[in-house]
Amino acid sequence: MITLTINGKKVVVPVGATILEAALQNGIEIPNLCYDKRLSPYGACRLCVVEVEGQKKLLAACSTPVTEGMEVKTETPKLFKARQTVLELLLVHHPLDCPVCDKAGECKLQDLAFKYCSTKSRFKGEKKHELVDTGSPIVERNSNRCILCGKCVRVCGELQGVGAINLLGRGFASKISPAFEETLDCEFCGQCIDACPVGALGSKPYKYSSRAWFLEAHDNICPYCGVGCTVTYDIRDGKIIRAKGIEGKGINEGNLCVKGRFGFDFIYSKTRLKTPLIKEGDGFKSASWEEALNHIAKKLKAIKDANGADAIGAIGSPRCTVEDNFMLRKFMKDVIGSDNIDSSARFGYAKIQRAVEMSFGLESLPVDFNSPLGKEAILIIESDITSTHPVWGLNFLKAQRKGSFLITADTRETKLTRHSSQWLRLKPGTGTALLNGIIKIAFDEGLYDKEKASRISGLSFLSDGVKDYTSKKVSDITGISEDIFINTAKRFLKAGSRLISLTIGTSEDTKGLNTALAAANLLLLIGEGPASLQMPAEYCNTFGMWHQGLRQGRSGRDIISMLYGEDTVKALYIMGENPAVTFPDASTVDKALRGLDFLVVQDIMLTETAKLADVVLPAASWAEKDGTFICAEGIEQKVQKISQTEGEPVPDWQILRNLSRAMGFEVGAKDISALQDEINEIKTAERTAETIFNPVEYIPGEVPDADYPLTMITGNLMQHSGALSVMSRSLSHVLADAFLQISNADAEKYNVRDEGFVKVASRRGSVMVKARISDEVPQGSVFLPVHFPHAKINTLTHLSLNGEAPLSAVKIEAVK
Amino acid sequence: MLKEIEDIKAKYPDTRAALLPALYIAQKEFGWLSLDAMKAVANALNLPESDVRGTASFYSMFRLKPAGRNLIQLCTNISCMILGAERLRDLLKDRYGLLPGGTTEDGRFSLVIMECIGACGTAPAMLVNTDLYENLTEHNIAEILGKYK
Ligand code: SF4
Ligand code: SF4
Ligand code: SF4
Ligand code: FES
Ligand code: FES
Repeated sequence: MITLTINGKKVVVPVGATILEAALQNGIEIPNLCYDKRLSPYGACRLCVVEVEGQKKLLAACSTPVTEGMEVKTETPKLFKARQTVLELLLVHHPLDCPVCDKAGECKLQDLAFKYCSTKSRFKGEKKHELVDTGSPIVERNSNRCILCGKCVRVCGELQGVGAINLLGRGFASKISPAFEETLDCEFCGQCIDACPVGALGSKPYKYSSRAWFLEAHDNICPYCGVGCTVTYDIRDGKIIRAKGIEGKGINEGNLCVKGRFGFDFIYSKTRLKTPLIKEGDGFKSASWEEALNHIAKKLKAIKDANGADAIGAIGSPRCTVEDNFMLRKFMKDVIGSDNIDSSARFGYAKIQRAVEMSFGLESLPVDFNSPLGKEAILIIESDITSTHPVWGLNFLKAQRKGSFLITADTRETKLTRHSSQWLRLKPGTGTALLNGIIKIAFDEGLYDKEKASRISGLSFLSDGVKDYTSKKVSDITGISEDIFINTAKRFLKAGSRLISLTIGTSEDTKGLNTALAAANLLLLIGEGPASLQMPAEYCNTFGMWHQGLRQGRSGRDIISMLYGEDTVKALYIMGENPAVTFPDASTVDKALRGLDFLVVQDIMLTETAKLADVVLPAASWAEKDGTFICAEGIEQKVQKISQTEGEPVPDWQILRNLSRAMGFEVGAKDISALQDEINEIKTAERTAETIFNPVEYIPGEVPDADYPLTMITGNLMQHSGALSVMSRSLSHVLADAFLQISNADAEKYNVRDEGFVKVASRRGSVMVKARISDEVPQGSVFLPVHFPHAKINTLTHLSLNGEAPLSAVKIEAVK
Repeated sequence: MLKEIEDIKAKYPDTRAALLPALYIAQKEFGWLSLDAMKAVANALNLPESDVRGTASFYSMFRLKPAGRNLIQLCTNISCMILGAERLRDLLKDRYGLLPGGTTEDGRFSLVIMECIGACGTAPAMLVNTDLYENLTEHNIAEILGKYK
């Protein structure tokens, strides 16, 4: 620790801190324009100058480290003058178009000029007259207002790992721009917008919609992925009109991704449901709540009487709150009397849970937001974490920057592979073989923790189980060269601290239970504990929903038996889920849904599934109700009603309570706090953790052959994760429809043009999509995102009986 | 060129540090840094294109427009200016039709005005390609340029 005085006050700060950090930590403000806590010091604006005893020159506080006994002054007449001059010079070139600038009222330059500047300007200089870049779907760039602090460049490059923009040229001519002055085409995370101290970078969806001083800020939790970021929403007239991150706030410490920042607008979509709908002929008729609930009550009773409670099933939603899911389960158990409850987590998170139980004997294994930091070696298995969990993904990039050896095993080129220390470009779905191969090397070379491993049951089964996974065989299966495989494996095994991370999502087909088990085997063998296996829950409340018990009960049926089996259920109650689009093997799902005697869908919009329903009930979105999300880190966070949406949508839990009443049951839950009290009373039993090795085999998916020569990989995109994102106008401006990503070599082979239509077919069906040629996928593989309702990519996928969704082989044909 | 860049890369702790030498190699190869040349460098070094363009556009020794066979880099900073660099610049314009930033019609010369090239004691000074010429006068400059075809 170092002791110094600032403005006569003694302060103690860690070694290596800068004067500015020391001041901020002790509540002393020093004006600054180019400093950002998340970035390395830059020293461009010279506003943070301070006087240091014994130094003739003024020093930039943001880039001067503190020394023992230093005496710093942050407010003196000399400093006032210096800052005033800097600002005066900045204003010479500035357009001063505050009346038409969205930043006015929350602009750092405006605030500082107000504080320091006189009304006279002594200099006359040129102003810039660059064209404003309004071409990009989300970020607008006005170089004329730019003060060249470089924050956006550094946020984009250093923090986001993108580098879409930079300072071009020098002197007066310098400006912020994409490499060749083209229109910005990037991730659209919008992090640069939040970072810009002036109005040079702006959000297009927000443009000219309000003056800053009319906004009312409310914090809420992001409705998208499992990271659980805190988002600050700006409200005007009861409507959210902008989202931003505030430095240091929430798990995310103010960072947001494109979905969190721009994806909130789906709740104002014109297609929001306003009233209940009851099927009539080929269409629907609007109904009152009373009419709709009574109709459902009557139907469900009749089905229960005729076929028993077991003929009725329910599907909950990882995007609904803990309270909503709790109520659905209660409704099924107490009112219907059935244990047939499940959710889409069956295809994703359930496998993670299963692996955690089997390997570690744990009830749950939340991820740790900071786990990547400080690890010597990190191995990521076929997971595009910067797309599925974008803000958490930043910590993997940061770890690599700070010296971790980051190994990414992935078929596709992603932001993570670009920042990896070693990219293993394996064949799709071969992660299990890779892990087994590393385990074998650990055994062969004695690179494992003999003492710890010998205390875990199944050690000899494991060594037997991997004995065929010679480096030669692993290299044949994965396509990674033997040398590189062996070197990388040893590097990982010999590292002082190790971490493996992977996602298993509803829409990903390259990993399954076996992959997670193989990873757990490896970590246990080398003496690492459960915390070194990081497998995040997928959506905002996947974790909460699962641990609230929204899954098949003891005597109940899971989704696979309810929708895919011979003997499907007769009636289904679906809350906030769209199986027709997002579940694997769409034709089977479609058949099952159409074959139902009675289908109720409760959602915010008329989804493809809702179109098949007998009754559709309009529900409130996350910003229109109070409740709880539990994020992938296992942290409970409150969501609040912050939007006054037209039509006053009703929360899911309330609809279910009202329906229970209509069916003649009093289920309590008179208001949200009564419901929360009830939930809090239920305690889950602790288990004693027992670790076990579970040897697994690598099982290939559909092997490409002459008829279906390509392997299809499905997955998430940075801008889209499914049901909600495709309803967002802003996100759809970035990307509106599914596409097929195909390598240059294959494009040539199959005569596919960039942006041209192709027919993609698997053994189960075919779809039409546009092609995007890119060597981000290698020859032999194609990539397709599954969420877009029109494309119905899940027509191509399939499901095996154990609930895994193995890779599918496809063929493509260019459409003339 | 890519081979040369690979060799250079090995000498630096990270690829960003190899950017300047790599740009030099590309410029030597093509005579100037075209869009494709910069993209190739970005690719070879695994750096964002914006970093490469940003750096290339900052340093005046990189040419972002096609250049003539020979590059004249004339200093017009204080010492050189006092000793007549501006007259030399006019001479280049009158005699060769060569404007700062421009190229002669026959593609023989391009001219770039430089900031101080560190030859103040023997000003005025210029570089032709990589050769340094000092104590320039209106007479000897013509003679010097005559050597370059
Ligand atoms: S939106 Fe994100 S990716 Fe795009 S330029 Fe800004 S910081 Fe970079
Ligand atoms: S655009 Fe904004 S953040 Fe970027 S350099 Fe200019 S003023 Fe700074
Ligand atoms: S990382 Fe996840 S939680 Fe955070 S803003 Fe993005 S989608 Fe929302
Ligand atoms: S904040 Fe220190 S120089 Fe800008
Ligand atoms: S001023 Fe021309 S060489 Fe220094």
